[in-house]
Parts: sequence; structure tokens; C-alpha cells
Amino acid sequence: MKRVGVFVCDCGTNIAAVVDTERVAREATEMPGVVFATTYKYMCSDPGQDLIKKAIREHNLQQVVVASCSPRMHENTFRKAIADVGLNPYLFEMVNIREQDSWVHADKEQATRKASDLVRMAVFKVLKNKPLQTGTIPITKRALVVGAGIAGMQSALDIAEAGYEVVLVDREATIGGRMVQLDKTFPTLDCSA
Amino acid sequence: MVAVAQHPNIKMYTYAEIEAVSGYIGNFTVTIRRKAKYVDWDKCNGCGTCETKCPSKNIKNEFDLGLGTRTAIHKAFPQAVPNKPVIDAENCRKFKTGKCGVCEKICPTKAINFEDKDELVTENVGAIVMATGFDLFDWTETYGEYGYGRFPDVVSGLHFERLVNASGPTGGKIKRPSDGRIPESVAFIKCVGSRDDTKGKTYCSRACCMYTAKHAMQVKEKIPGSEAYVFYMDVRTAGKNYEEFYQRGVNAGVKYIRGRVSKIYPRGDKLVLKSEDTLLGRPIEVEVDMVVLATAMVPARGSAELAKLVGFSTDKDGFFQEAHPKLQPVETFTGGVYLAGACQGPKDIPDTVAQASAAAVKVCGLFSKPELATQPMVSEVEAGKCSGCEFCVPICPYKAITMKAIQERGHGGVIERRVATVNEGLCQGCGACVGACRSGALNLKGFTDEQIVAEVDALCL
Amino acid sequence: MSIDNPNWEPKIVAFACNWCSYAGADLAGLNRLQYPADIRLIRVPCSGRVDPQFVLRAFHQGADGVLVSG
Repeated sequence: MKRVGVFVCDCGTNIAAVVDTERVAREATEMPGVVFATTYKYMCSDPGQDLIKKAIREHNLQQVVVASCSPRMHENTFRKAIADVGLNPYLFEMVNIREQDSWVHADKEQATRKASDLVRMAVFKVLKNKPLQTGTIPITKRALVVGAGIAGMQSALDIAEAGYEVVLVDREATIGGRMVQLDKTFPTLDCSA
Repeated sequence: MVAVAQHPNIKMYTYAEIEAVSGYIGNFTVTIRRKAKYVDWDKCNGCGTCETKCPSKNIKNEFDLGLGTRTAIHKAFPQAVPNKPVIDAENCRKFKTGKCGVCEKICPTKAINFEDKDELVTENVGAIVMATGFDLFDWTETYGEYGYGRFPDVVSGLHFERLVNASGPTGGKIKRPSDGRIPESVAFIKCVGSRDDTKGKTYCSRACCMYTAKHAMQVKEKIPGSEAYVFYMDVRTAGKNYEEFYQRGVNAGVKYIRGRVSKIYPRGDKLVLKSEDTLLGRPIEVEVDMVVLATAMVPARGSAELAKLVGFSTDKDGFFQEAHPKLQPVETFTGGVYLAGACQGPKDIPDTVAQASAAAVKVCGLFSKPELATQPMVSEVEAGKCSGCEFCVPICPYKAITMKAIQERGHGGVIERRVATVNEGLCQGCGACVGACRSGALNLKGFTDEQIVAEVDALCL
Repeated sequence: MSIDNPNWEPKIVAFACNWCSYAGADLAGLNRLQYPADIRLIRVPCSGRVDPQFVLRAFHQGADGVLVSG
């Protein structure tokens, strides 16, 4: 069996006020493969990431599960952290116990049980994870800007000034958008053209 | 504007619309429809003779929101960029009756081309910035108490902008649309359509408090002895120097009255506003010459269709959905597509400029890398299991699966057969092919059948 | 336990597309919208990834309901 580490984040009180993170970590140690589980106040912070790295070395962890916010937020943060200590970044799973648990449920018992269930789900999954390698694709260094009002013109100018080509499209015959319809604009009352 | 038009790195397509977008971050292919202008802009020198001679006159000028008129061949306004006209075929006498062609005859550069057609062009880009802006909430549909638009002297804030604009239909003189008289008193009503969940939108449109303060000040400034009244629910001036700006208006004599106007009706050639002054706690009636409504900002027409076409989501009000309201305000959920300005939500000019520069930085950040790391969670084929049924090929929305020939040993010799293969650059890792594969040859790395089944099992323990 | 018992907590497995429904569930969190805690989300890259066998597997393993959203 592979050696799994589980890291449960309090997110200050964002998670810990509703989810009993200590209990989630304790229950995680009963799960298959889990050899280490702990909590920390802010797992994404530098000390939090160091804690994960240290645990990987000390406990010879092969797979990592972090239970914290949405993976849409910090998945890459933690992938980088475990890659720093030589683990393949895809031997990692993230459990969302904030956006999809502590923030949407008030009942502590139910929310804690849900957190444990979600951690178990991630542990079962991570045991099946395999190392993955990233590839590369080329980038066409030209930008399309849709709409040539203030926003579009400003974006287009900034990108163009940085040295990249911009294709600026507007459905009207003239650029300028709403702005050119306006008289002086607040708070400076300068002209809008 | 001129800086944009003259920048060597900017290629402009005006009078054009996005027809189709395919590809993904770093590698989009965009089809642009250049609408028929009936004027060859390469030849046109923008002299404007055609506009003065065009007999198809007195068409309501959309740019002035119908306050002024234009001809069929027209520029939006004299300082348009590019400073070249288009022919509005719907109103052009040549298109309607076949007879006319005055512009063609008098054009000194022979730029008129009645045979002009829409043209499709293709551009390859690596990133897309959406900056499609806003429209104003159509109050005439819902606000019966303000006359459903029946009273010509009840106008929107944008109308007022055209009236005070030096290049507008009145040359910058504030005049009543009904009789051209200069109003001696103007009332402004804020939050028309904004913060009104029964008739309009729930949100605050953010710019109206400030532009109304500006409008009221302009009335006081341009019309000596005039009165300006502002009916408000709240005065929101959260911005640098905004509160000071509003106080300038108050000091200039603009009368702020806290209360919702419940009815507007005509009395003689004046308009009467009935309201309550909620600070004094009593009903109030004000008689004015003109009323300006600060109407809500709504997404520009066609926003929803455009979002679908480019492939990102919109929010409950139809504004473009940012990836995170706080931390990713200019990104969308679609890689390589960024947002700038009021298309993402109502905002004023300073915020728009800030967001537009932020979007530009995101684009430049993307372009600063030599190449893009692909995400490795893509589909893979186990060739030995693939039956070559090709069922997955049309399923793939990214055209990432093709068939290739492989040689296999079997039946006492080497045989050649065709199996599916995945282009990892094109594959976006949706996994639709995996569910469709009947022989279990396809799997999605990072989301394999084994992994997902393990999750299901773990949850059902 | 059954649906007649008020203390019954159903076991609901949801397959949520990362780009819409899962993001939507995150947005619900950002807005602190409260909903029953009986649902467990499995993140998938697209609802197209959901193989019918996953749904059957969930029911077979004792799930009371399965939601596929994308």
C-alpha cells in the first residue's frame, strides 16, 4: 500500500468554525494507506506548505491529500509545493471543505461528517493516481479585443505597447464606444475623446 | 482614439462582428464578418461631400439617440475614427428604389461601391479580451409612472449627454426635445431600473450617482438662474475625489431630495413630479421643464450570444462571469479569454480603465512565456483494446481524435489495423470520448474509470 | 431507514462538471447559500466524462440518489 498524507486546513475560522478539522484528521488516519494526518491554520501559507514538505520527507509520503478550499483556488499552489520536494505533482488530490462544506452548511456534525466523507473519497482516489507529465504547446502571440470602447481601446493600447499585435473589432463603424457619446466625465471633467 | 488607430501593432476591424471562434488558449482561430459598408475605405479620404449631398435625409441618428438626424451615407459623428462613412442600405434611396447614386457621382475618389458584400476574414490569436460594454435599461417598457416614454421631455442620462455635448445635435446647448426651449428647471431621478427588483435589476449601476451629480452641475452652470433637483434613494460616492465632487454640486445649489418619484404627469408645458421627501416625512410636488432618468446599465445587446460563441459563461443578469469575484476579476472560466469594462458588470470610467489594463497584463503575461505547459489530464488510447469503431472521433468536441494504422501480430502473421489516437495539444481533457468508448480502450489521465469508481465506492461505504 | 423517517439522511452522489456545476457550487459557497449536507460532489472534467457505469455503481453501492450536472 502506498503511503498517504492528509492535511486538513482550518482556513482561520472559515472552515474550523463549522467543521471539526481535528476530528477529520483523526478519522483520516483510519483510512487505507494514510500514515500521517494533521491540521493547520492556513495550509496555503508558507509555513503551511513547509509543514507539508517536511511531512513528505519525514514520513516518506508518496501521495498527498489536502482538505481546504476549492481546488479551483489552490490546486496549483499545493501541486507546486509537493513538486518542490520531488513528488510528482499529480500524486495529489484536493478536498473542497470550504466552498462546498463549511460555507454552505451550518450543522457542525453534518458538515464534519461530510468533510470526512470527502477526505475518504480523495484518499481512495489518490491511491489510484499515477504520475503525469506536462507537455507544451505553442502560443500565438497576437490578441483579439472585442469592442473598441474605453475598455477595449485601453486593453488594445496596453497590449500593443508591450510589443504584441492586436486585432481590435467593433460592430460600429467608429471606435470609441459609449465614451464618444459622453460630454465631460467625472471626477476630473475633462473631455471624453 | 487616434492613438489606437495609428498604433502600428493594432489592426482595426470596425463595422465588423465576431462570426465564429474555435481553438483554445494560445491558439484561437477567429472568423470576423466585415459588414458591407458600400464605401471603399482604402479609396475614401473622408472629405464628407457625400454626406452633405445625400438626398436620403432626416433619418434619426442612432448616435444621438434619435435627438438629431443623419443621411443614409453617414459617419456616426464628425470626429469618427476611422473618419470614413458607411451607407445604411435600409434607408438609402439607391437601394430602395434603384435610382439615385448621387454619392457615387460626386465622390472625388470613386470610393462608392453599391456591389459591396459582407466579407469573412480569419485571424489567429492566442488570447481574447472581451470589452463589449453596456446598454441602458429600457425604462419605457416598464416605468408607466414616468410615462412609458410618452413625454418627450423625460429622457435618459445618455440623451442628456448628447444634449450637453458640444458636438451633439444642439451644439452643447441644453434644450428640451419637445420644443427646443432651454429648460429653467430640470429634475433628475436616480436608480431607474437599478436597485428595483420589482421592475428592473437588483444591482446598483455604480456610475449614476456621479454622472447625475455632473449633469445637475452642468444644468446650474450652463443655464443661469436654473434649478436642478435630484431625487435619490442613496448617494453613493465611493471613489477617490467622488464625495468632494458631489459636495461641489450641493454647494453649487443642486437640491437633493431623498425620495422615490411615484408619478410624472404634464401640466401645461411643464412636468409635475410627485414624490415624498423622506427626510422631512411629507409628500412633495415639484414642477420642472425637463426630467432626466439615471437608468440602469445592462449588458450590451447580443452579449449572451457572443458569450456562447466565444465559449464562456454569463451571470444571472447577463453580464460576463469572471472566474472569481475577488481574485480573478478579469479572467473567465475559459483559458485565454479575459474581461474588461462594463461587460463584466456596471462600472465607471476609472474602474473600466483599471480593469482593461489588468486584462492587458494578463494577456502580456501569457505571451511572455515561450510556450504553454499543457495540462497532462488528457485522454489516452490503449491500442490493444481499441476496436477501431471510430465512434469516439465525432464525439470529440475538439477534433483531437484521429485514426492511425498500427501493425499487430496475430493469426500467425502481422496484420495492419486502424486505431484511435489522441492529439494531446488539442485534447482539453473533457473525457466525453471515454464514456463513449465501447471497448474500454480510452481513458482520461487524472480522471480514470478506476479513480472515479474509487471515489463512488468511498462515498457509499 | 426510509424516506418516511424524518431523521433519514439520504446519500446523494453528484457528478459535477468542473467548469460549470462545480464552479457553481463554489459560487454558492462564496455567496453562503445554505443547502442540505447530504450531497457529496465528485468533480469531473465534463459531464460527458460520466459513464453510465458510474451511476449504476453508485446505486449498487447504496446511494439513494445520483445527480449528474453539467
